[in-house]
Amino acid sequence: MTVERVLPNLDSVIHAQARLRVTVALSVLSPGDKVTFPRLQELVGMSAGNLSTHLRKLEDAGYITITKAYQRRTPVTYVTLTKAGRRAFEDYIAALHDLLATPDHRSGEEAL
Amino acid sequence: MTDESQRSEGPAVIGDEPHLSPEESLALIEAQRGKASRSLYVDPALILGAWGVAWLVGFGAIYLATQGSLGAVMPPWAAGAIAAILFAAATLVSFGEQVRRGRGVQGPSRRIAAMYGWSWLLAFTGLFALDLALEHHGLPADLAPLLWTGSSLVAVGLLYLAGGMLWDDRLQYGLGVWVLVTGAGSVAAGVPGNFEVLSLAGGGGFLVAAAVTRARGWRSERARA
Repeated sequence: MTVERVLPNLDSVIHAQARLRVTVALSVLSPGDKVTFPRLQELVGMSAGNLSTHLRKLEDAGYITITKAYQRRTPVTYVTLTKAGRRAFEDYIAALHDLLATPDHRSGEEAL
Repeated sequence: MTDESQRSEGPAVIGDEPHLSPEESLALIEAQRGKASRSLYVDPALILGAWGVAWLVGFGAIYLATQGSLGAVMPPWAAGAIAAILFAAATLVSFGEQVRRGRGVQGPSRRIAAMYGWSWLLAFTGLFALDLALEHHGLPADLAPLLWTGSSLVAVGLLYLAGGMLWDDRLQYGLGVWVLVTGAGSVAAGVPGNFEVLSLAGGGGFLVAAAVTRARGWRSERARA
């Protein structure tokens, strides 16, 4: 039943709707740029709780860095894609194209 | 069964997420990339269009107010007011776009954008100091309009060249070259023909650049769909 069994080459950290959205949005930023939590929330259209959950998983995988800074005594949370995260996302896209180029990927899906 | 019902609902649910096929993944990537890009990137067509209108109508009004071949059609104060309002509006549009898009973002790209913004202010501060000093030192009054517009166009042209270099944008670089040519051409034409050159060639150049940018955007949107 798991995606991993059918599509073994896809990174399971990225291959989930919500985390894929977050990864794409962060990849649109220039390398090294970081974005505040509320702005990221706006970019992906997710609730704060939902976004926090998925950010934690991405952080555990080393794909993003979360930093907290203080601006005029107000805590601000910044999120940025790490080099490893950017590379993992590129590999993920390459794996998707590989799967699409494989003629029998559809039959594999039907097994779901 | 649960997978099917979740998929029809659209957005992801925490925990048990709908499975994505490779096609669905790629479609989601394109859609999310488009959404984030539209939110994070300035719209060059909007900025170029605002400046195009300012140059075309603003310099056009000044031309009509001068004793040109058409005779004075408009009082100089009205022409000056129209130009001032349009140039102020274009400045606000450019600045506003940068601020709006850069909201909540920090890092190298914002530093580049900030330095680029300051470059405009610094360039024109230097230009004002230089041109005012030349007037103070007895520059003939009939040469003043040529000095102000000619030197402004050199500054604008160079800053567009810089923008092209910073963002690897050939269109912006090309526009910089066009502005430099227009500046030289306007000074060669002399008063009041210079305002006609600035209005038509300068404003026209910006509007063509805006149209090209828009057309490119449409093409990439269509390619995405």
